Amino acid sequence: MSAFSLSRASVVARKEWVDLLRDRKSIFWALFAVAISGPLVLCILYFVAKSVSERIDKTTAAIVNVAFAPDLVRHLERRGIKIDPDPADYRDRVKRGELDAVIVIEPDFQQAMAEGRPAKITLVTESSRDRSAPIAAKLSREIERYAARIGSERLMLRGVSPVVASPVRVEELDLSSAEQRGARLLQVMSFYALFAGLMGAIAAALDVTAGERERQTLEPLLTTPVTAMELAFGKWLAVSAVNLLAVTISLTGFLVALQFVPLAKLGIPFSFGVREFAGFMAVLVPFAFMVPAVLLAIGAAGKTAKEAQSSLSIGASMVGLLPMISFLRQSQPPWWDALVPVNGQYATLSKVLRSETIPTLDWAAMWVIPAGIIVIALFGFARTLANEKLLAGR
Amino acid sequence: MISANQLTKKFVTKERSSAFTLRGKTREIIAVDRVSFEAEDGKITGLLGPNGAGKTTTLRMLSTLLTPDSGKAIIDGADLATQKVAIRQKLGVLGDAKGIYWRLSPRENLLYFAKLQGMNRADAERRATQLIDELGLGALADRPTQGFSQGERMKVAIARALIHDPQTVLLDEPTNGLDIMSTRSMRELIRGLRAQGKCVLFSSHIMQEVSALCDRVVIIAKGRVVFDGTPPEVLSQSGASTLEDGFVRLIGSDEGLFA
Ligand SMILES: Nc1ncnc2c1ncn2[C@@H]1O[C@H](COP(=O)(O)OP(=O)(O)OP(=O)(O)O)[C@@H](O)[C@H]1O
Ligand SMILES: [Mg+2]
Repeated sequence: MSAFSLSRASVVARKEWVDLLRDRKSIFWALFAVAISGPLVLCILYFVAKSVSERIDKTTAAIVNVAFAPDLVRHLERRGIKIDPDPADYRDRVKRGELDAVIVIEPDFQQAMAEGRPAKITLVTESSRDRSAPIAAKLSREIERYAARIGSERLMLRGVSPVVASPVRVEELDLSSAEQRGARLLQVMSFYALFAGLMGAIAAALDVTAGERERQTLEPLLTTPVTAMELAFGKWLAVSAVNLLAVTISLTGFLVALQFVPLAKLGIPFSFGVREFAGFMAVLVPFAFMVPAVLLAIGAAGKTAKEAQSSLSIGASMVGLLPMISFLRQSQPPWWDALVPVNGQYATLSKVLRSETIPTLDWAAMWVIPAGIIVIALFGFARTLANEKLLAGR
Repeated sequence: MISANQLTKKFVTKERSSAFTLRGKTREIIAVDRVSFEAEDGKITGLLGPNGAGKTTTLRMLSTLLTPDSGKAIIDGADLATQKVAIRQKLGVLGDAKGIYWRLSPRENLLYFAKLQGMNRADAERRATQLIDELGLGALADRPTQGFSQGERMKVAIARALIHDPQTVLLDEPTNGLDIMSTRSMRELIRGLRAQGKCVLFSSHIMQEVSALCDRVVIIAKGRVVFDGTPPEVLSQSGASTLEDGFVRLIGSDEGLFA
């Protein structure tokens, strides 16, 4: 075979690029989906965050036997909590989720108080329901605060300093800064950026591999002087360009949406500025070139469009599932986690969002590993393109 | 000028009874069995044979798509085994697969192949326009080829095969699916190529078509050459009164094309 000709490879790349951008049905809609899903995800996040903070602000305490503990009721009201006195069927309603939590006061509450016995309060909750948890936690905290106040009053009456009764004082120092908390909420964005770097490539990779076979244009192509490696390289460049376009569109969409969604008003000081944009691009550019190479190698192996489509969807779901591992893992990730493709990208994107410093080694992994994968995948792709068994065996 | 010498191609197929069968039965098919013939410049050579005779496989070997298991071929002085790139530059191929790009216009389809053949932009555009005019594609030249009729697509495919003005032209069933008018103009085009001194090798399973066009006929059946001569010799050698009868007798089956 002749030497690799870059000019022929670029002829292939330019033709595929023009051809792909005319594919309204799949490529156009894939890009469209990528463009609107950013703002959409952001709006959903915004409304979820908004409703949670509103619910916590407007906490109502449902209290059974409210008449037995007027002092506690006064304490709660002073703390800005509304009282829902004596709800009926409270057990069922908590179970069904109509009430988040119910405080039940024992009939002898006041008598026990007066006699200095522990007065009993039951907090009825449904701990398996996530959305009730912050409300239940808030009520429980308020009751404890009330109890602590009564306790220290009693000690003072007896001439003992309340400090004696608190040998240990717990103070919470939440290490996640305000930015970090916002970033955790929007970590979905790392997910979503990687998703764009996949979506942009699937339809295009399918079109230039199985599509070429289906249209019966691969055979005429291979009777020209173009070599399989030139074809592979050109097709990869074109699909990567489409994919890069998808990534850029998605991030831009996100950036634009952030100008309109007032996350800061909710106390989520989420910043996605030029610095974060650059960090994202530095991770996503090599990723956007790596994904097409892998998908092309997989897609070319299919004899028919259907075969290619099913193997491509397996490849695509692998990319989607890998970060789930780090999502679900409880322990510290092992050192090699950063080197696993997709997983490593996900971790690094999250670090960018948390404004952490990223070690040089991680940056190297973001570029060197995709480069290695690209080389291997392109050789595999070229081999399958030239495979005469796949060519004639329709 | 093509000279094929003892070209042979076997296919090995695996038969599995289900997707879970680990080891299927393998079966070997000898698609082309020691085929030798010559096709000269300035002549039209017809490769005639019933379905499954090995015509497409032979042409695919000559166009470097398949590697022969044994045998040799020389095309315009280039050896098939060692000078693939040279052969690809000399050959114009209208193969079994005649697909074109739907979202590109005929002109864009032609320019793509011209550039892959290493033509410069000016030459490529001049030649594309010339072929578009010759084939009467003018009105369609700049419209995406999606929705083109079979004949229109065939015209684009043949123009694509001729874009770099190759000396040797391989055509696999070039009139398949064409109406009488298009078939006639295809024949005119093939004769025109002969007049320019090109070497044309085309395959067909229709005796009449071959006899109307060819200077020389190579009949293959079950992968073997069973006749090599001029159309009149088909009659004399087979002793039949019509060309079709002669063809049927030569391929050794009374069931004719459904052998
Ligand atoms: N890729 C392949 N794998 C297995 N068998 C094949 C393959 N290609 C061709 N064959 C077999 O080789 C034989 C010759 O096929 P070929 O396509 O060359 O015939 P043909 O003369 O072109 O027929 P037709 O007139 O129907 O186009 C057939 O029996 C076919 O089944
Ligand atoms: Mg055939």
